[in-house]
Amino acid sequence: MKATSQSASDLLFPLQYRGKALALLLLQPQRRLHVREIARLTGTVAGTMNKELDRLQRAGLLEKHRVGNQLQFCANPQHPVFAELSALLRKTIGLADVLALALTPLADRVTVAFVFGSIATSSETAVSDVDVIIIGAVDFGETVKLLYEAQKTLQREVNPKVFSVADWQAKMAANSSFLADVMAKPKLFLIGTQRELDQLAEPGQNRTA
Amino acid sequence: MNSINLLNLAKIELLDPVPLSEDLALRMLASARQRLRDAEFIQNSDETRFDCAYTAIRTVADIGLHLTGFRTSTSKPGHHQTAIACLAHTLGVDETTVRVLDGLRKQRNLTDYDGDLITDAALRECLRQARAMVTRVEAVMGEHPDLKN
Repeated sequence: MKATSQSASDLLFPLQYRGKALALLLLQPQRRLHVREIARLTGTVAGTMNKELDRLQRAGLLEKHRVGNQLQFCANPQHPVFAELSALLRKTIGLADVLALALTPLADRVTVAFVFGSIATSSETAVSDVDVIIIGAVDFGETVKLLYEAQKTLQREVNPKVFSVADWQAKMAANSSFLADVMAKPKLFLIGTQRELDQLAEPGQNRTA
Repeated sequence: MNSINLLNLAKIELLDPVPLSEDLALRMLASARQRLRDAEFIQNSDETRFDCAYTAIRTVADIGLHLTGFRTSTSKPGHHQTAIACLAHTLGVDETTVRVLDGLRKQRNLTDYDGDLITDAALRECLRQARAMVTRVEAVMGEHPDLKN
């Protein structure tokens, strides 16, 4: 199974280069990158990417800066649709897709997986880690291995927090203040939905320890 | 072992050269074993057990460096990270395992500084890795030409 939002992102951003450039730059509005860096980080061709970046700059979505003999691009947070577009990217081709894809090999054994913390609440900085909770029959070690490549793609540290269903239920029952905080705040779901998460709290729910 | 990489780290002062001392190596090994025993003690809280298992891993990483004639410069930030990253060169630990060990290091930081909780899965992984690391360093020390044993 692919990332749940993959089809939505393909539909909304049929032009691969546009989606990739916007996701890279709008989700890290503090970063300025030159064309070759952008091409390398998105796995695209610099020449074609350059044309797309120019289009996006002319539309006001990106800013272009000349630094020495280099042209650097960054997001324009002043654009009226910046907030909405970044939210859309974050939930589609951005970070969530990268993570969901990385966790695909575990999908059969995971009841629910989601991002919490500053990324999910959109209060992240350029150096914020990505905090991920994974509930299911998986090892801490195997998730670290699977998320290693995603860390490189996102250029952020990814910190997995792995629970068995039983462990999650026990810590919820013990009124862990950490989990109460997690439950109260926004999440980006990677595998499963809020519904699966809520069902874990219901009595008699005991599948895949 | 790949000593060129370690020499490069010494050049940028992340590592300091230090002569091998059998006495020190044995004391460090005793410390790693003791931490592992404390980690196995189920009456301890999960947080304490995780912390002890992690410390056992880090001590083994320090032993690895010592056996190759180095120690981390504690004046530099990130000396835990350096010692763990060097395991590939000091004790021949494979890269994927080093990534898992580094994941445990990050978990330890989150627990210590952000009040993050320890899950059963994190504790189980830390114990498994600590046991494997102590066993590995015991084997390496047993065959080390400069240690009498």
